[in-house]
Amino acid sequence: MANLCPEAFPHRQSAHCESGVVSNLLRREGVEVSEAMAFGIGRGLFFGYLPFIRLNGLPLVTYRSVAGRIIRHFSKFPGISLQQKTFRDRRRAMVELDEALAAGRPVGLQTGVFWLPYFPRALRFHFNAHNLVVYGKAGEDYLISDPVFPAPVRCPAPDLERARFAAGALAPRGKMYWFQITDELFSPRLHIRAALDGVCRAMLGSPFPLIGVRGMRFLAGRLVRWPERLGHQRTILHLGHIVRMQEEIGTGGGGFRFMFSSFLRESAELLADRQLRAGAERMMQAGDEWRGFAAMAARICKERTRPGDSCLALAASLRSCAAQEEAIFWELSRWCREGR
Amino acid sequence: MATEEPDINDGLTLVSYVAEDGVCQPHQGYGWQPVNVVNRQAWQEVENAIARSREMVDAGIVSCLHYYMTANQMTPSLLARYANRPGWLVRLHLRPFFFRRTSRASLARYAELFGISVEDLTAGRLRSPVYQRERHG
Repeated sequence: MANLCPEAFPHRQSAHCESGVVSNLLRREGVEVSEAMAFGIGRGLFFGYLPFIRLNGLPLVTYRSVAGRIIRHFSKFPGISLQQKTFRDRRRAMVELDEALAAGRPVGLQTGVFWLPYFPRALRFHFNAHNLVVYGKAGEDYLISDPVFPAPVRCPAPDLERARFAAGALAPRGKMYWFQITDELFSPRLHIRAALDGVCRAMLGSPFPLIGVRGMRFLAGRLVRWPERLGHQRTILHLGHIVRMQEEIGTGGGGFRFMFSSFLRESAELLADRQLRAGAERMMQAGDEWRGFAAMAARICKERTRPGDSCLALAASLRSCAAQEEAIFWELSRWCREGR
Repeated sequence: MATEEPDINDGLTLVSYVAEDGVCQPHQGYGWQPVNVVNRQAWQEVENAIARSREMVDAGIVSCLHYYMTANQMTPSLLARYANRPGWLVRLHLRPFFFRRTSRASLARYAELFGISVEDLTAGRLRSPVYQRERHG
């Protein structure tokens, strides 16, 4: 693609849009934070099964914390300040975007994906918590560094405006944000322990049975009964939905567990810590188990089952994921307390 | 429709983390087979809904607005929010009887939203959804 001026913004493709945007925006400010590190210290990892929230009539399963959480955690770190704006007026939102670009400041935007013309057809659902960076304007087109794309892309102004004001759940209301570094000495390593502690508490300590490790077990219990409660056709749809939430673009695979493992390994190197390295390895095994779960679910969806594939086996696999993660997070939370 | 292709992302390469040499690393690829299976399944659902809606429009049970709503994966309440009209009014407009009496202003809103002309709506022409039109670079 011609004249996208890629040198104007250090675009790097990433797996998850929010951590990718944070990582790319911070790199522009001169702070090197990898995507996995951004995901980790932004406390991105989570699990929740929330059947009372429906997406296209299917229960919400989430493998990460709620959209916008990573950005919010970063805004709380000393040394980084976050400027954030939402708008009522569409024109005002576009004018302010143009002003920021004229001042040479790339900004992050929250958008819906349905209205973005450069997205492949297959991914254009009504999902409103996508993040991207706008870094320039050429004529009527905006130059966009979308973290899930291999290279910068262009988007016509009317389409971007529509995407910024997508309606429905998680409506972005033109949200625009950028980071300022107020302290040159900001370093991600200072925040690893607190972030890990937060993730452990979310995964182990929730009083609600639908959250964290308990949520996985709850889902396993539900899953077994789906064939008789919902019938074959609906069961397949539900299973496909779980796998999509887990493996669809933006997750980095294995329901974010691989990305988190990468974060643990990076932390282990930064802090020269053996225990974290072991945690990374075990988290990777948990990710593999998740992938096995997804592969089996997909075989059931496609009705190409192998011997031993059934909802019962799926539930067993899910319980094994839960057991593995429970062990990992207990270990990590002990590590967090020791270091204090 | 290219639903039988193994990769439905139009050849877009995505990053995912994979276990290589005992460590998890970002890796560029075309998507994992099970993901493509479930993605295709989800699109099959959307296409089934569109086909059902087409039949109902042809049978005169619902207005062509119902087709455009379904084709663009909206529900009446989401459509209402995009068109800035109350939900009950949008639900009425889904019925042919009320759709024929829709105001010009409402029709213009719907047409703009779906990227079609008002004449398409009044003539009941069923054009492809927004995401299937030409893609910009």
